[in-house]
Amino acid sequence: MKGRVGLYFILPAMLVLVLLIAYPVVYTGYLSVTDPKGALTGKNFVNALRPAVTKQAIFNTIYWVLGSIVFQVVLGTLTAILLNQQFPGRSIIRSITLIPWVVPGIVAATTWAWMFHTEFGIINYMLTSADVIPSPIGWLTDRNLVMPVLIAVNVWKLFPFVAIMVLAGLQAIPADLYEAAKVDGARFWDEVWFVTLPQVRPVLVAVTLLLVIWGLNSITLIYAMTGGGPANRTMITPIQIFHLAFDSFQFNQAAALSVMFFAVAIVIVAVYVRIVPQTPGAAK
Amino acid sequence: MSAAVITPGRRTLAYVVIGVASLVLVVVCLFPFAWMALSSIKKVNELYTVPPHWLPNEPTLLNYATVLFKSNIPRYFLNSIIISGGSTALALVLAIFASYGFARFEFRGKPWLQSFVLIGQLLPTAAIIVPLFITLRWLGLVNTYWGLILVYMIITLPLSVWMLTSYFRAIPVELEEAAIIDGASRLGVLFRVTLPLSLPGLVAVLVYAFVTTWNEFIFALCFATDSTVKTLPIGLAEFSTEFNTDWGGVMAASMVMTVPVALLFLLFQRMFVGGLTAGATKG
Repeated sequence: MKGRVGLYFILPAMLVLVLLIAYPVVYTGYLSVTDPKGALTGKNFVNALRPAVTKQAIFNTIYWVLGSIVFQVVLGTLTAILLNQQFPGRSIIRSITLIPWVVPGIVAATTWAWMFHTEFGIINYMLTSADVIPSPIGWLTDRNLVMPVLIAVNVWKLFPFVAIMVLAGLQAIPADLYEAAKVDGARFWDEVWFVTLPQVRPVLVAVTLLLVIWGLNSITLIYAMTGGGPANRTMITPIQIFHLAFDSFQFNQAAALSVMFFAVAIVIVAVYVRIVPQTPGAAK
Repeated sequence: MSAAVITPGRRTLAYVVIGVASLVLVVVCLFPFAWMALSSIKKVNELYTVPPHWLPNEPTLLNYATVLFKSNIPRYFLNSIIISGGSTALALVLAIFASYGFARFEFRGKPWLQSFVLIGQLLPTAAIIVPLFITLRWLGLVNTYWGLILVYMIITLPLSVWMLTSYFRAIPVELEEAAIIDGASRLGVLFRVTLPLSLPGLVAVLVYAFVTTWNEFIFALCFATDSTVKTLPIGLAEFSTEFNTDWGGVMAASMVMTVPVALLFLLFQRMFVGGLTAGATKG
C-alpha cells in the first residue's frame, strides 16, 4: 500500500526515538567541542585523551570485548550443538541454559562477587580443598587475575544467548544435507565442520557483531563487581565516561570521550547493518 | 568406503558424552543460583565460616525479614514495577503502530527509517548518557517515574518494533483485505484482525520489554538518584557496596529481584524464544 498513511502509523515511535536518540547524539557532538560556557574549543579532546587512565581504559575495553567474545561464541556454539541432539530431557536443559541470560546483570554480579570472595567465597574453598591452589586467591583484588575473572562472568552471562540463536540456525538446516553427508561417509565432527558451521556462519557473524556492541556497552558487571579497580585494571571506557560525567562533573570532557567511543561503535554498527540483511531474523 | 554405521558401542559413547556435557551445563548455569538461595537462608555465623557450610545447619528467614522490613527494597520493588510496567505498556503501544506501518505500507524513506530503528538498538548507551541527562534535567524529569519510563524507550522500542514487524509480515494480507472489503477501517483491521493473530509476538515483546527494563542498571543509576524513584538494581548495588557488605541480605534481595523475572520468563519461554529467533528459523 502506498501513500502517507504508513507514515502516520510510525510517526509517534519515530518522534520518541528522535527525541531520545538522534537529539542526544547531536548534542553530544556539540558538548564535545564547547566549553561549559558554550564557547568553541578543542581542548576537551586533548584533556580527555591526556591522562594515562584513558589509554589504559582503551586497552582494557579491547581486552574485555575480545576476551569475552571468543569464549561466548565457542561455548555458545558447543552448547547449541549439544542442545540440537535428540535426547530425553533436552527441553528442560534448554530452559535451564537460558537462565544466566535472563537474570538481572546486577544479581549475577553480586552473586559471583560473593562466590569469588577471598575469605568466605565458595570458589576459593573448592579450589583449595581440591589442592588446585595452595592458598585462597584474591580474585577481584589481584591485578592480573581480575580481568579474566570478570570476562569469565561475562561469558557465563551471555553464552546462552549465542546458544539459542545458533540453535535456531541449526534447526533451520535442511535434513537432506546431513543425509547426503552420511551417504558420503561423514562422521560427527565431519558433519559439524563441513555441513553445520558453513550453514550457521551468517548467524554467527550477526551474533558476534552484536556481542561486540554489547561488550562495548556493558557497564553493569564491572561497575558492580570492581568499580573499575584495582588500580584501574578493569576500567573500561564506558565506565570512565560515567565517572567523568557523574563523579567529576566534566560533562564536556565526557562528551569528547563519548564522541570518540561513538565513532568506533558506529563503524561496527555500520558493518553490522550491511551484513545483517543477508541474515534474516538474526537482526537483534 | 562404507557409510558410517552407528554401532551400539558408538551410540552408548554418544549418550555418555551428551549426558556428561548436559550435567556440566546444568551445574554451570544453576550453581550460582543454588548458592544464592542457600546463602540467603544462612545466619551470619554460617555465612562467615571457613570452611563454608554447604547447607545451612539452622536455616533462617532473618535475611528476608531484614530485606522486607528494614530496608528500602520493598519501595524499590514498587518503583521497579511502576517503571517497568509503564515503559513496557508505552513501548508496546508505540511499537504496535510503528510495526504495522512498516509491515503493511510503502512510503518514501522507509528503508532509511528502519535502519534508524536498528541503529537505535545498537547505540552504546554510555555515549548518549550525558546529553540524555541534560535533556531530562531540562524537561524536569530527573528523579521522576516518567523520566525513566521515557528513557527506557531507547532500550525497548527498537527491538519491539523489529520483532512485531516480522510478526505482522507473517500474517496473510488477504485476511486484512477481506476485512476491509467487509467495511472495516484500517485501525479496525489492526485491532480486530492483526493483533489477535499476533498474540505470541505481543507476548514476546511484553516479556522482553519488562525483563530488560527490570534488569536495567546504568540509566537507573544516572537518572534516578532519589530513593522515591530508585529501582531494584540500584537498591541491590547499594546493599553490596557499603563498607560492610551484609552478604546474607544481598543474597535475599537478589532472590526477591530474580524470582519475578525468572517466573515470567519460564511461563512464556516458548513464545519469547520463538519471537526472538523467528526470522532465523523462518529464513
